[in-house]
Amino acid sequence: MLLTTTAISVEAAQAAAAAAPRMDPLHHFQVVKYVQMAPLGLDISVSNSVVWMWISIAAVFFFFRYAFRQPALVPGRLQSVAEAGYLFIRGIVDENIGAGGKPYFPMVFTLFFFVLFCNWTGLIPGSFTATSQLIVTATLALGIFFLSIFLGFYKHGLKFLGFFVPSGLPVLLLPLMVPIEIISFLARPVSLSVRLFANMTAGHTVLGVLFFFSATLPWIGSWLPFGFSVVFTAVEIFIGFIQAYIFTILTCVYINDSLHLHH
Amino acid sequence: MISSAYAATEGHAQSSGLPQFDSSVFASQIFWTVVSFMVLMYLLQRYVIPAINDILDSRGKKISEDLQNAEKARQEAERVLAGYREQVERARQMASATLEEARLEASAIREHALADLTEELAKKKASAVEEIERVRQRAMEEVRDAAVEIAMLATEKLIAKTVTKAKAEEMVKGAVDHLEQNKASLH
Amino acid sequence: MESLPASFIGMGLAAAGLAGSGIGLGFMFGKAIEAFARQPGAEAQLSKYVWIGAAFVEAIALYGLVLAFIIMGKG
Repeated sequence: MLLTTTAISVEAAQAAAAAAPRMDPLHHFQVVKYVQMAPLGLDISVSNSVVWMWISIAAVFFFFRYAFRQPALVPGRLQSVAEAGYLFIRGIVDENIGAGGKPYFPMVFTLFFFVLFCNWTGLIPGSFTATSQLIVTATLALGIFFLSIFLGFYKHGLKFLGFFVPSGLPVLLLPLMVPIEIISFLARPVSLSVRLFANMTAGHTVLGVLFFFSATLPWIGSWLPFGFSVVFTAVEIFIGFIQAYIFTILTCVYINDSLHLHH
Repeated sequence: MISSAYAATEGHAQSSGLPQFDSSVFASQIFWTVVSFMVLMYLLQRYVIPAINDILDSRGKKISEDLQNAEKARQEAERVLAGYREQVERARQMASATLEEARLEASAIREHALADLTEELAKKKASAVEEIERVRQRAMEEVRDAAVEIAMLATEKLIAKTVTKAKAEEMVKGAVDHLEQNKASLH
Repeated sequence: MESLPASFIGMGLAAAGLAGSGIGLGFMFGKAIEAFARQPGAEAQLSKYVWIGAAFVEAIALYGLVLAFIIMGKG
């Protein structure tokens, strides 16, 4: 008798605990595979992350197509925005790569708008932020990393290894400095990817917590986290832009290091 | 995300760190990231970047053309302005010449009028002087006749004898001559 | 089961690194405002670098946060 009652009460307690709202701000980073596909052993499953990546690139492309549907010499509002974005990226490329930076412009342009729109589409309620996935940013960062290594060896041959030897140092310090240089070089893709992913994750986690509170608190208290979440969404829009900008700038800096070698 | 916050309330008991570190979803995302990036780069390079380049180039061309046109128009305007200034200068010279001419003419007219007036005045003065002289002569004669008369009557009464007319005239003549000599004092 | 509380402590310690980022941000914006007060004309040029620097400093804090999340997964 006693046993059953305790069992019931435990069950009830468990049920109550399960029914109570539970804060899990990391839930919306969960990748859900919609379609499982693995032809030839290559996993190309379509998940929510992938779908939102597609939505982002479609948004970039159609934004520019729409802005330039009737290109006018005196631009309208949307065309001005698109041109400003173009000139902004061109300014970054000219400033950070300088001479010989023109061939890399399309890549840098694409990179910026890819990251920017992935960051921004993630702010739509119910959406998924592709750039909050470490593997996505790591793929981009490693791509840039290997591109810069390839460019260094392609342009300068083995002289590119001199990149790891800081000039103007006493020879005695070299055994210390060269490993540091190599490690800092290898840390580039890590910091590049982790910066973007961590910013997006942290921002969306904070937003998730705020939304949780504004949804579960009684009305008397819920307006406060709701107001915060509105403000923080604006901050997130700004951070999304800044992070895309920094990602782009660092890409240009790395390419420039490989192209011009002065350290 | 509100919906996902609510969704979080159902089940999902064990939190096992960040979902980002779940390696089972890595391969597909790597693949699709690379593919999406390449597709976007192709699309932008194929359709967007040339369009923006075109429009920026043509705008640059248009602006430099406009600048040239503006420069040309400015030069034209300067030329017109110079011509206009010249015309104004010419007109001013013409005006001043006309003014000088008019001034000369006016002074000629004035001198002419002045001369006419002087002449007329002189003529009038002369005729007036003549008139005065004539009136004076006549008055003189009348005075002389009256004096002769009075002298004759007076003499008749005083000496009671008739003075001959010749004698009387001689006497009057003597008196008038005396008058004539003292004319200046009479006036 | 003993590792769970330890992992929570570890998460807290990892996230404590955010303090450094806060100090850094304070320094940076303080100096930036000082600079703007001295040279109001340079504000437009400098603010760009301020925001870039802010993002860098913030990223350092987020490394700590990521470490905390990693520990959370191990607990």
